[in-house]
Formats: sequence, C-alpha cells, structure tokens
Amino acid sequence: MTLKYTYLLFYVWMVLLSMPSYANNGAIELITKTTQFEAGQSISLKFSNTDNETPSLYVSNSYGSTIIKPEIDSGILNYQIPQSISNKTGVVNWKLLANNSLSGAFTIISKQKAVALETYLGPPSIQAGGTDYSMLVVIPTDYLDNPLADSTKVTVKHQFLDNQNEEVVLMKNRIAYKNIYSETKTGRILVSSECLGFNSKEYTVNVLPAIPTDFNISHSRNHDYADGNQITTFSTSIIKDQFGNLVSDGTYIDFFITNRSNHILKTSSTTIKGIAVAKMIHPDHEDQWTVKAFVEGMAESKPIELAYKTIISDFNVLFSEDYRTVTIGPLKSFMNQMVPDGLEVSLSVFQNEIKLNTLTKSSFEGYATFKLDTNNFPSENYTLKIETAGVQKTYPNVKL
Amino acid sequence: MKETSNKYLIVALLIGIAFHGTSIFFTLETTYDALIHLFFADHYANSWFEPWNYKWYTGFTVMSYPPLVHQSIAALSLIGGLKFGMFTVALISIVLFITGVYRFSLLITSNRTVAGYASILAVFSSSFVETLHIFGQLPSIIGISVLMHALPEIYLWLKTGRYKYLFTSLSLISVTVTSHHVTPIFGMIFFIFPLIGMVIMDVSREQVDSVKAITFKVFINSFFKLFKRIISFGMLSLVIIVGCILPYWINSKNNPITQVPIPHGSRDNFLEITSSGLVFFLIPWGVLLILLPYIFYRYYSKRYLFFGLSITILTVLGTGGTTFIPRLFLGETAFNILTLDRFTLWASIMSLPLFGEFVYRFVEGDLKQLIQDKFGAIYHRLIGGILAGLFLFMTIFTMSLSYFRPSQPQQIKMLPIINFLNQDQHDNWRYMTLGFGDQMAWLSAQTNAMSVDGNYHSARRLPELTTRPIERLENSKFKGVEGIGSLQQFLTTPEKYNFKYIFSNDKFYDPILYFCGWQRLRQLENGIQVWEKLNVPPVSSILPKEDVAKWLKILWGIMPFLTVLIAFILNIQMLWINTLKTKAKAIPEFLKFQNNYTKFSRGLLRITHVWSIILAIIVFYGVHLFYIKNDAHHSPENALLAYYDALDFKEFETAYSLINPESNLPIAQYMLEISVTDGLLSSYAKLDAIETIVTSKTDSLATVKVNTKWITPLEKINKTDYKTLVKLKGKWYVNPEDIDLDLPPDQLYSDNVTKYFNQGRRRITTEQTHHEDVLKQPVLEILSAKLVKHNGSYALIGEVQNIDNVPADVVLKGTLYNDDNKQLATYNAKYHVKHKLMPKEVSSFKINFEGIAWSRTQDSIPKTFNPDEFTPVEFEEQPTKFNLQVAGNVSGSDLYKGTSISDLDISEEQITGKLFNSGLAEVTIPQLLFTYYDQHKNMLWVDHQFIAEGIRQQRQQSFDYPILKNDTIQVINEDMKNCFVNGLPNVSISNKVVPNRIENQTHTVLQPIENKNYSFIKIEINTYIGNPN
Repeated sequence: MTLKYTYLLFYVWMVLLSMPSYANNGAIELITKTTQFEAGQSISLKFSNTDNETPSLYVSNSYGSTIIKPEIDSGILNYQIPQSISNKTGVVNWKLLANNSLSGAFTIISKQKAVALETYLGPPSIQAGGTDYSMLVVIPTDYLDNPLADSTKVTVKHQFLDNQNEEVVLMKNRIAYKNIYSETKTGRILVSSECLGFNSKEYTVNVLPAIPTDFNISHSRNHDYADGNQITTFSTSIIKDQFGNLVSDGTYIDFFITNRSNHILKTSSTTIKGIAVAKMIHPDHEDQWTVKAFVEGMAESKPIELAYKTIISDFNVLFSEDYRTVTIGPLKSFMNQMVPDGLEVSLSVFQNEIKLNTLTKSSFEGYATFKLDTNNFPSENYTLKIETAGVQKTYPNVKL
Repeated sequence: MKETSNKYLIVALLIGIAFHGTSIFFTLETTYDALIHLFFADHYANSWFEPWNYKWYTGFTVMSYPPLVHQSIAALSLIGGLKFGMFTVALISIVLFITGVYRFSLLITSNRTVAGYASILAVFSSSFVETLHIFGQLPSIIGISVLMHALPEIYLWLKTGRYKYLFTSLSLISVTVTSHHVTPIFGMIFFIFPLIGMVIMDVSREQVDSVKAITFKVFINSFFKLFKRIISFGMLSLVIIVGCILPYWINSKNNPITQVPIPHGSRDNFLEITSSGLVFFLIPWGVLLILLPYIFYRYYSKRYLFFGLSITILTVLGTGGTTFIPRLFLGETAFNILTLDRFTLWASIMSLPLFGEFVYRFVEGDLKQLIQDKFGAIYHRLIGGILAGLFLFMTIFTMSLSYFRPSQPQQIKMLPIINFLNQDQHDNWRYMTLGFGDQMAWLSAQTNAMSVDGNYHSARRLPELTTRPIERLENSKFKGVEGIGSLQQFLTTPEKYNFKYIFSNDKFYDPILYFCGWQRLRQLENGIQVWEKLNVPPVSSILPKEDVAKWLKILWGIMPFLTVLIAFILNIQMLWINTLKTKAKAIPEFLKFQNNYTKFSRGLLRITHVWSIILAIIVFYGVHLFYIKNDAHHSPENALLAYYDALDFKEFETAYSLINPESNLPIAQYMLEISVTDGLLSSYAKLDAIETIVTSKTDSLATVKVNTKWITPLEKINKTDYKTLVKLKGKWYVNPEDIDLDLPPDQLYSDNVTKYFNQGRRRITTEQTHHEDVLKQPVLEILSAKLVKHNGSYALIGEVQNIDNVPADVVLKGTLYNDDNKQLATYNAKYHVKHKLMPKEVSSFKINFEGIAWSRTQDSIPKTFNPDEFTPVEFEEQPTKFNLQVAGNVSGSDLYKGTSISDLDISEEQITGKLFNSGLAEVTIPQLLFTYYDQHKNMLWVDHQFIAEGIRQQRQQSFDYPILKNDTIQVINEDMKNCFVNGLPNVSISNKVVPNRIENQTHTVLQPIENKNYSFIKIEINTYIGNPN
C-alpha cells in the first residue's frame, strides 16, 4: 500500500516537473533534423523562435566546450558550430541556454579518405622462433587528422625472406593493429600498410637469433711447450640457436681453464659469424689444462684437454766470490735455444726456515742476475731457493 | 684660501689607472672571484627583479650576496657585454680606492702632502694588488673604498654637528653596505669606533692646552658632549646597514649557513703551511712589515690611541691559525666561517696613511734629517734604495704570482661547450665541469643549461654538498679523499639531479667517471672531453623555487642604485655647487690638527733598525731552511722526496737528474721506460703524503723504506717501496728500478671485433628524436639478488645478465624498505658491476648504500668521512626488503673484453696471479670483481680490486689480492619478486626469453678457496681503456 502511494507521489512530482517546460516548449524548436555530419563540413543548428529571446547555445565535444551566440534571420536562430568542433569526429552535445532546457546531440564522422597512416611498430627487434612478436598499430586519418570510422579495412603487408603476406584487418576503436610474429629464421621483416588506396612507408622489424645452443671448442698453438711466451688460441665451432641461426655477433663466451693445481684460469671472447676466438698465453711451467666454454645459463661446450711440456729441465747457477751476485743461466729451451726474454726467475732468501724476501727477475737473453746488497742481507748464513719454469733449486747455508 | 689640486693625488690617479687599468685585462679573469661576480651580474642582466637562480646547485637565491657591484656590471653589460661591465667596474673601483686612501690619509694625518704620498703608495701596495689582481674581490674593494670616503664625513658630523655631514656620511655607508655586507659591519668596529675616539680626542684637545693635558675626565666630558651625535649616527647607520640589504638579512635568517666549514688558507698555521703564510700574511703586509714599529708607535700616540687598539686586533686576527688568539677571540663558529685575510687587508689599508707619513718624513722631513745627521747622506740613500726596491719587488712579485703559480687552469674557449649545450636539447639536462677552476662561472654565465655544481658555496642547499667541506665538486681532487668521495656520490646517482653531461678538462677524473658508469661522448674542438650518462631523465619543465615577497624583490632591485644616486647627489653635487659658487671653502675641521713633523724619535729609529735586523735574520734563516729542504742531493731522504716529487709532477728530466749516474741508464732510455708505463698509479695518482724510513745507511749506501699515500680518482693507495741510494761525490742518488723485460712473441697482431654505432636520430631535425629512431632497450635478466648485511652495513648483491643480442649499458638502482614498507635508502651500483655488458655476458654486482643514499642523510653521514666506508647510523628501522630496478640502454663504447687470467696461486691469505691482455688496446686500469660463495655455492658477497698498474698489449701484469677474512655476513632477504628490468617484472622476462635456463651452470668452474666464511670465489675482469683508438 505504501508502495502505491510512493509511486503516485512520484508521478505527480514528474508531471509537476515537466509542466513549465511544456509551457515554453512552443517558443523555440529545432529545425535542423540532420544528426550526422562529416568532419570539415560547415555545421549550423537552426531553431525556430517565436519569442524575441536569443539564448546562447552550449556545445561540447570530447576536446572541450564553448558557447555560441546565434544569428537571427527572420525569426530563425542560426547557430554556426565553430571549426574547432566541426573538424573533430565524435559526439557533440548541445544545449540551449534558455528557460527551457532544449538539448540534443549530433555526431561528426570522418571523411572516409585516408591522407595519412599514423603507424607505430614496436619493439623494433624481436627474437626468432615464432613466439616473440612486434605489434603494428595503424591509425588511418582523414585530412583533418581524424581517425577513420571503425571497420574500415586496413591491409597489413609484410615481407620476410621469400614470403610476402597481405592481411586485412578492420579498424576497431579507431585503430587497426596486428601482431607480427617472428619465424624461425633471423632476418628483417619489412612491414607496410594500406588503407583505402593510401599506402604507408616502410617499417622494419629485425628478427634476431634466439638463445644459443651447445657447441664445441678447439685449440691451436705453435708448439706444446710451456714457454710462457707463445699464445694458444681457442675457437668455438659455429654457435647457432635451436633454429640453426648464427648467434648474433658480439655474443660473449667465457672459457674456463682448469689447470693441474686446480686453479681456474679464464679467458673470454665474443663471436663473429658464430665463432668466438679467445687467446691465452702459454704457462711458464709444465701443465695440463682442461678447457670448457660457456654461454652462461644457455649453452656450453664439451671440455677439451691439452698438455704443455716443460722447456727447461735444469739450469746453472753461478755465484760470485762473495756470493752476492747470483747469475742464473743459460736458460735453454727445447731446441737448446735461449729462452725468449721475460721468463720469470725467482730467488727466495730464507734464514732459519723463515722466508725473508723473494726477489723476481725476468730473464734477459737467457740469463737472470740477482744482486744481494749488504744493506738488506748483512753477512750471515742464508738459504737460497731459485725457481724458474717450475724447476726449483735450493742452496742451503750460503755465507754472504 | 684657494685650494690647489693635489699633484700627488693626480699622479697617483694617473699611474693607478694606467698601471691597474692595463693589467686587469691580463689578471682579472684568472682571479678567484671576478668570474663569480660576473655570473651574478649575468643573472641580474637577465632578470633584475627575480632573485632565484636555477643555474647552480639545483637553484639558489642571489639575495645571498649584496647586489650593487653585480647590478652595476649587469647595467653596464647592456652597453658592451658582461666583460665590459666588469672591467669598467674594476676601473671605477681603482679610482675609488686611490681617492679613498687619499681622503682617509688626509683625515688621519691632516697633511695634504702626506695624503698625496699615501695615495701614490696605495697604488702599488701589495695588499691592494693582491686583492684586485689575485683575488678579484671587487665588492670588497669598493666597499672599503667607499667606507674610506665616508670616514671624513663621519668625522665632520661628529665634530661639527652639521646635518649635511650626517647625510653625506650615511649615504656613503649605504653604498658600502649594498656593495659588501661584511665591510660596514667590521668597518663599524675597526674603522668607525676608533674614528669616534679620535674625534673625542680632538674635541678634548680643543678644551685644553696640550695633548698631555687630556685626561680621562676631559675625555669623558667630551664624550658626553658628543654623545647625541654618536648615538644618532650609530643608530641611523645601523638602520641603513639593515634596511638597505634587508632581503639579504631575511634570507640569511631563513637559510642559515648550516654547512660544514670549508677550509680556507687564511685559517692555516702560517708557519706550517708556508704557502698560506705567503699569500695571506707576507704579501698583504709586504714592506709594511718593516715599518710595523713605526705604525704601532704612531697609532698608539694619544690622538690615534683607538686606531692603535684597532690595528692591533686586526693584525692579530690576520694571523689566522698561527696563534690561538683569533680562534679564542672570534669563537669557533665565526672563526670557521670568516676568511681571516680580510683583517690583514684592513690592517694594511689602515697602515697606509702612516706609511705615507713615514715616506714623507723619510724623503723630505725630519727622518731624513735625523738619518743624515746620524749616519750620513749615503746611508740615507742606500736605505731609501733598499726600501723602494723591496716595495717594488713586493708589487711585481704579487702581480706576477699567478704567472709563476697559476691558480687557474689555462683559459678555456667556451664557445664549443656553449654550442654543444645548445645543440640537440642538451641543455635539458644538468651538466658539471671538471678541472675548469673558476672559469666554470663564466661558462654558467653564457649558457642556459643548469649545473649541479656552483661556485658560491654559501648558497648551497643540497645536503650532499653542505655536509662536506668541499667548496666545489669541480676541483674536488684538491680536497683529497673527501672531495673525490663527494664527487662520486653525484656520479653514482645522477638521475636524482637530472645530471647527464660532464665537461672534463682534467684527465685525472676519467677513471672515476668510467667506473661510475659514464661513457665518453666526444672531444670538443677546445680539447674538452664530454662524458655522458645513459638512462637519465631530462630536467622537468617546472622546477621548485623558494619565492620571496614582491616588495623584497623590488627593494633588492632598486635600493642599490638608489643609494648610489643619493650618495652621488649629496656628495658630488654639493662639491659642484661649491666649486661653481667659487666661494672660499672653509678648511675641514680635521686639518686643524696638524703634526709639524720636526722631531723624529731617536728611540723609534733605533727600534726600527733592530726590528729590521730581526726581520732580515728571519728571512735569511727561512731561505736557508728552504735551501736545505730543497737541495735534492743533501741526504737520502731529500733525494727520495725530490725524486717522488718530480715523478708526481711529471718532471721526468728532474727525476732523471736524481738517478744514479753510474747506472748506465741513458736519459732516452729512462724517458722511454716512463712513457710505456700506464695505469692508475702512473697516470692518475696525486702524491698525498710520503714518509721515508732509512732502514740502513752507510757512508755511501742507503736503503730507504718509502711509504707513499696516493690520491687517485678511485681510491686511496698506500704503497711501500724499498729504494736503494748511493752517494757519489758527496751527492745522493737513487738507484733505478728494474724494468719489465718481457717480450711478446709477435711484432704485429690482428684481431676481429664487432663494433657498434647508434646514430641517434636518423633525420637531421631540431625535433625530438622520432619514435622510429629509438632503439629497444636491451633485455637484461637479474639472475640473482639478495640483501645482505656485511660487517654492519647493508648491500644488495647479485648477478645480472644481458640476454639480448646487443651490448647494453647497465644501470642498477636498489631501494631498501623496512617491514612497514617504508623506504629507507636508495642508491645505484657504483664500482661493483661491469657497466657495459656484451650480449649474454654476466656481471656480479653490489649496491652499497652510501651516506646520501639514506633518507635521513644528515644523520647517516659519519663524522670522519671515508668514501669507502658507509656504515649508516643504527636505525630503529632495519632494512628487510628490497626493490631492484635494472635498466639497459644500447651502448657501443667501452666494450673491451680482451683481458684474461693467465695464472693463479691461491693461499689462505691471498690470491696472486697474472692478468694477460690478449687484445689490441692498452688496459689502463684493470679491475677485478671477486664474488664470494659459501660451501653450497650460494653467493654471499662481492668485492673488488683496482690494479694500480696498467697492462700493455700482449703482456702480463701480476696482481695480489688479500682474501677477505673475519667477515660477519648475514643474508637478510633473497626474495626476488621486486626485481624489475626496464620497468617490467624480472620473472616474466626470464620466462619469455630464456625459458629453459640451465641453473647454476658455471658453478662447476668456481674457484675453491680455504676460508672460514667462504668456500668458493669467482673472478671477473673489468677494464678501463684510457686511450681508445
């Protein structure tokens, strides 16, 4: 029962509310019946007017709002919509600022002729393998920079290797878009689009290789002697991804070298045409290397082993009369030639089992000479240990 | 009586303008301060009424310095440019100073001839020459000059009570205060108070018969007689001092100088730091030192008694830190804020009238008579010659000081830098200069771009700057560890300041720039190297400023010129009217108290002689000490010090002269050996301290342990060398070091590398880079990240990999939060990451949260600063969570990867080994990154070491790394859910790009070590190439 009263009250209120507007509605009426215009057209709203009233018209679209004063022509109110509004597509709401609240809306549609294709393509590089993609977004626009109407056909064309594709996509929500997936090969996808006979310029997506796969390594060296001078070169096989593409130039490869004393040496390189070439100086003592290369977390090689033979099995040590000048050499290499300059020779001085000092010298033309001055080593008994190329000699109780 | 022009004054003016007016064009631009004033002038020239300046220190207010001089330059710059304005103002200041000294001398001595002498002497006085030609303190000179002009007017007001003089004196005080704020404040105390005393004395003198008859009672009576005038003058001048630069005082109150005091040479102990003693004591006093007994004798006569007290205080305060008195007298705060050289300047200026008087008496007065009677005419001439010679020597020496010891780098052509900043919207980012000296102000004046740094340290606002005793970041290397430490904080987190470009005029800073992640852009045609940082956003178009009320701005803009105008009308105009009326002018009151100069005190002459002998002895002893200290061959220590000094300053020929001549090392060979050494120590280090300990010494042989401390841009290096020296023919020589004899096997090497070039925008256009020309940010992956607490300080460690196909510049930014998700600290990775990663390359990283990283910066900076030490104060809130943002940008520079580890030897204590450079570029600074793991191969810590020596191509270099021991380490959080790469979640990137990652693949090749905390270690190599070809 209460509900009925409520309804009744509501109706009465509605009627009361609409009465004044009814009363005045006869005065001003919309004459223009068109509710759809093309952007760029001159648009004017005409109203018949029996009163002498000249109300302003409030007009609003998504870019903004304005108020227009009418031109009066023999009792007809003529509202000219400004270009700033009539050039933009979309819904335009209007309302007369009179005593009555006459209002309405019209739509502006774009001119269905593309003069520009606003295009976005990204990312500009993707990974091969068919899962990564780049998105092309095309917005065909008319001469007033309005997007064309939804469902306008846009042809997206792309070329990759021998394939050339065309596909029609329809505009939706004022854009047309297409995901362009990579294939299994690397290369360059050229993309363009077309709309209503208008063609875009060329866009590029680079397809870069996927992650590398396992590979092999090899080595090359001039000889297998540990002379501490020559260079051993490690090379990888051609590294490819799972689809057979060469990995991109500059891919970083780490080579880990485990030597006989279980120390891990390291060299590295970057690939060119899939091959990385790393260099390492020969050890200066007999050694056995196990080398394995990695692309961290992605690929690795099988280990290879290589051995270095010692170049020196023995050497002479010559003391001066006061034992203060120690000459080591001649240091002869595998063909009895003098070792190349720079072989490290170390002389450690011990006294009562305590190491006092280690002097190191580089060999020069097969010899290394140490001078033990009186300042650092006063006249007493010392033990001298001389080491080079992994060979050690000890001279106990040398009286300096 | 018709007043004749004073010939001496006219001569002084002519010589002064000719001498200073010519030389300022060669000196003023290389002074410390002149270009700063020029920068301020540029500000006024562009926005006279807006005090906020954005160009320095992320914004500061020019209301922090009295504006008159700056506004004058600005006004004149509208006619002929800024430098025209500066030189014109400098010329005006010269005229003002000479005439000011004349008027002040006339007031003191009441003798036109003496005043004329004083004005001529003022032209060449070493303190004025120094202030103008070395310091370039234009406002200070104008301030003191106008104050000297004001003194006679004040005297006349107090003496006669005519209001005319009150107004003229006040008008001149107002000009003084608008040109320099410190001058009138201390001028009140040191010049005007004694002047008041002198007036009272003069008034008393008029009441009694002789000077002797002036008793304390008479003095007090006269004081009360003049009391009204004194008080009225005092009150009104106080009002003027406050009122004329009211905005300055308001600003000082609102932004009190809370910064850490900046060391200044004038506060040094002059006996210890002799260079400061020279510049801040010897030069300003100059030949006046000899006359000190005369000056004090005269100023302590009854009439000048208060000037005597004043000059005594000034003299003592001017001695800086040599004695404890200035510190006691001024108090700790004032002592650390004021530069004490100004006291010496004022004391020397106060001495000028008496200097003139002495010279007058010496040249044509009673002193001449006395000396000639006592010692004969020749002696008089001889002494005169010596005094004149010394005086001229001091002047010439002061003028040419900056020639022998340049205080500034060579003049830099700014145009290429200005063009660079104008091109391509480079001025949308902030920049910094390195090694420009005070010329940075001239650059700032010419460009619209903003700098992080600045050259007026009182106006600094960033806590990063105010908490450090660093004057400028620009010359931070001269401030040792603290300077470099402050600089690197800016280099590490440049995003915070929108700081993208560095113009480097000093190779010294190159390594720190590289290891902080900066890259070389190019060298401009003036030789300035441009560095840039990637991933820095531009400055926002709306910047914060501290606005002040409009009336303050108007007051600030109008008041200074108004004071000049009023002073002009009141002083000059009246002079004109007087002249035109050709009315016989009354003699000014102060001319009534003339001294007849008839009897020079014999005792004083004797004292002056004794004093001169003492001075001479001190000078000769000083020279002797200097000689002993600098005779390189005198002792083994001297030889070594000279040798290291020569190496430090790259004077290799001098160094060679200290090498044992019997070592058969030709100079050509020595130079060659030096030329092939490169590295942190030989190319980028500055010797900070050296200590020599002679371990054994015989008559002809010595072994010396040399402990050296080097400041390098990266870290402090302590080095111990053992050098042997020999004595040959009574001279000590250093035995040369052995050189590396290693010979690589080949002559010619070839290598293939991939090079990259990013051309930026492809079309030449002024528009912003088109979206098509923007490269994709390289995809990185954070392999691991964790928050650890190591020995009490927090750090983020982990590994990052470039999983893209192009080389990447890596920026890592870590943020720490507590349990309530409150942000505590944010900082970037500095040295502990390879900033440039090739495709698929991995780098360990560590982010330390240094002082300024913490939100409560003020609290977190330890009192004793060490940039490698950043233990923040204990927080109530401990960091428990972290956020890690990694950004990659394509970079084609600094991608050298040719260094390998060719030998290793590991003991419990240390790792020794060799690095082999297998590539074709010389590695200037190798850096090793050590990653520590526990027994389960979990990452625990990242450490680094810079190798002090470089590695030449195809050669080896040994290194020696002490393994970390006794660390306390605690992993706080390993949750990687807040790790982001280029703004995207790390997990999704990882899943997409490397879905089948082989986890912990290289764990098989971790190096085992023997250590309590750590079981494995990984060594990575990063290299800085100083000269990429």
